Amino acid sequence: MKIVIGKDAVMTGLQLVHGVVGARPTLPVLSNVLLQAQEDRLWLTTTDLEVTMRCAVEAKVAKAGATTLPAKRILSIMRELPADNIEIETDEKHSSSITCGSSFFKILGLSVDDFPPVPKYEGGHVFTLEQRVLKEMLQKTSYAASADETRYILNGTLMSFKANKLTMVATDGRRLALTEHELEFPKEAETDAIVPTKAVNELLRVLKDDGAVKVHLSKNQAGFEFDDVLLITKLIEGTYPNFRQVIPSQCDQRITVEREAFLIALKRVALLTSEKSSSIKLAFGKNKLKISASSPDVGEAHETVSIKYAGKEIAVAFNPDYVIEPLRNLANDEIYVELTDELSPGVIKCDVPFIYVLMPMRVS
Amino acid sequence: MHRIILHVDMDAFYASIEQRDHPEYRGRPVVVGAGPNERGVVAASSYEARRFGIHSAMPSREAGRRCPHAVFVPVNMARYVEVSQQIAAILSRFTPLVEPLSLDEAFLDVSGGAALFGDGAAIARQIKTAIRAETQLTASVGVAHNMFLAKLASDLDKPDGLTLVPEDPAEILAFLAPLPVGRLWGVGKVTRPKLEAAGYRTIGDIQRADPALLGSLVGRDAAAHFKRLARGEDDRELELDGEEKSISREYTFDVDCESKDVIRGVLMDLVDDVGRQLRKAGRYAGVARLKLRWKGFETITRQRPFASPACDDFSLRTAAEGLFEAETIDQPVRLVGFGVSRLQAEPRQQLDLFADAAGPADSKRERLNRTVDSLRDRLGDATIGRASALPRKDGPRH
Repeated sequence: MKIVIGKDAVMTGLQLVHGVVGARPTLPVLSNVLLQAQEDRLWLTTTDLEVTMRCAVEAKVAKAGATTLPAKRILSIMRELPADNIEIETDEKHSSSITCGSSFFKILGLSVDDFPPVPKYEGGHVFTLEQRVLKEMLQKTSYAASADETRYILNGTLMSFKANKLTMVATDGRRLALTEHELEFPKEAETDAIVPTKAVNELLRVLKDDGAVKVHLSKNQAGFEFDDVLLITKLIEGTYPNFRQVIPSQCDQRITVEREAFLIALKRVALLTSEKSSSIKLAFGKNKLKISASSPDVGEAHETVSIKYAGKEIAVAFNPDYVIEPLRNLANDEIYVELTDELSPGVIKCDVPFIYVLMPMRVS
Repeated sequence: MHRIILHVDMDAFYASIEQRDHPEYRGRPVVVGAGPNERGVVAASSYEARRFGIHSAMPSREAGRRCPHAVFVPVNMARYVEVSQQIAAILSRFTPLVEPLSLDEAFLDVSGGAALFGDGAAIARQIKTAIRAETQLTASVGVAHNMFLAKLASDLDKPDGLTLVPEDPAEILAFLAPLPVGRLWGVGKVTRPKLEAAGYRTIGDIQRADPALLGSLVGRDAAAHFKRLARGEDDRELELDGEEKSISREYTFDVDCESKDVIRGVLMDLVDDVGRQLRKAGRYAGVARLKLRWKGFETITRQRPFASPACDDFSLRTAAEGLFEAETIDQPVRLVGFGVSRLQAEPRQQLDLFADAAGPADSKRERLNRTVDSLRDRLGDATIGRASALPRKDGPRH
């Protein structure tokens, strides 16, 4: 393989794919990026056997071919090279010479034959939606997924294509975020897929605001194809819990809160929580919300926020992160908090198809 | 307020007590622990013995080979506890802010003691004098403005040492720079070789390291932590509450064991024991920890947090099983241990969305275990137990 490639192009490619490479890969070749040069394109591929990311960038291909090189190291070398054309030439022993101006690097690679083959689509269905929509839906939900490996079924985001709607859900068993988007597809394409958090995070990193994304779903694999990028991930197998049943059909009280002001106040007061006392108290009174936290070994804090509310006084304790995260990931000016009592689930809604359910903390 | 922290570390504590109590041992290599022909390890050794390369946790047989003429004495823990309490009493005369780390070392916060006893160095000297006068033992003391530096300093001039860490940040940097990187808290068997291979041999190397490069090696949080320590920064406070911080049990096999089933069986017994102790203490555990020691004395510990603080055997067992099953038993196991830490007084207060789906509620399991405990307390341990703990027809389980 012999190519000449602009620094910007190679950096764009490497930055897209390097996130998939884990810190401690199970096979040496998984630390490497697969480079394939043909017809004025350089294809870059990385995989951790669960998630595979592939993209193409423009290059002048003097001699078609392929090799694999350590991804993180190549990225750090390319980053430091001057903004100029870079020549990469590979010999038959998998080592590559990288030349740029007067800089020269010789990097040892591994055989292309060792690199796992890129998974193929097998049957399934294809859905097309805007990249911006997919990204926003993931942003609004994915943070609620569980990181607890013993609840592996919750270690991802559910994408449910049913009744001409895409419903996206994530939960860790204590709070749940859900959003919906109307989408047309044939009845027989109805399907559920649990996309693991690593793939979700990569999508959030690489999806753009313009253009469409094709979602290929089969029984145990999902592919996301957009621009010159392809992300393929294994799906979490199993049945997602019945999330509909935990969404309260109705709450007694509805409170209107200015999102930004609420968020800032929560972040400040939450500074006074600690490992020993990790809850924050929300006391809703007439047009007034008092947020307070106290920690026996640190001190206390409270702050008052204006709200629109004329119902009965109600006080409830939450894990502050469970309130901060949805607020941070919404863009609406106003949100609605719905509550029944201090031990029943609370709900956060806004004027877009979004619902967030969170369980309170019991405080003595 | 400007802090003054002392780290008081008794010199070769167990061995020095034995030498004090048995004048005939003085000046001779003394090894406390198992005998040179027994299975077991060295618990402590005198400075004379250390010259032969003997150190704690070394198999006693190895110690016997290295120094056949050493005096081997059994561990007399009751005696050491007694002396330790005597020393704790001395330390408490200087400040109520004492955090004991073990029988033979403690942190003291003497920031408020200047008016009564003088500066840090003066207090350190008085403590050393009092310990020597009242117990005929020596201690090494490190004086600094935080815990990390104080502990590091006490170890630099052993035995009978007194090391003052400078206060000026530039002088602290110079003080730390030549020390090996292994002196940093958190740099142990795993991280040290990794750092050294990358060329970070001294604390000075860490001071000069590019945070991003260091981060790519050990992770961003660890890198930030090491950078802080390398500058001599540490703002932890002493832990003063005398409550138990962890509960653990371990079991050494008479003959190294290769059967995963047998080890699992022993582990479950240990888990039950820890669970019972935990419930008796009225605590809930945040973290479960598994310990395995291989035939060659290499020891691994693996831990994982509970989804919610727990004290019931079901949660403890699930955690222990999860940790154990993740390990490959490809060599004989000498010791298995189980422990819990991050103990707290209250169960988790966070309510669950899918309460019914998650199986029986924690509180129900806890009630069951407490009932079993009270039956065992009244009627004996054999009254009731897990069916899987019964001997199998095809022979005893272990």
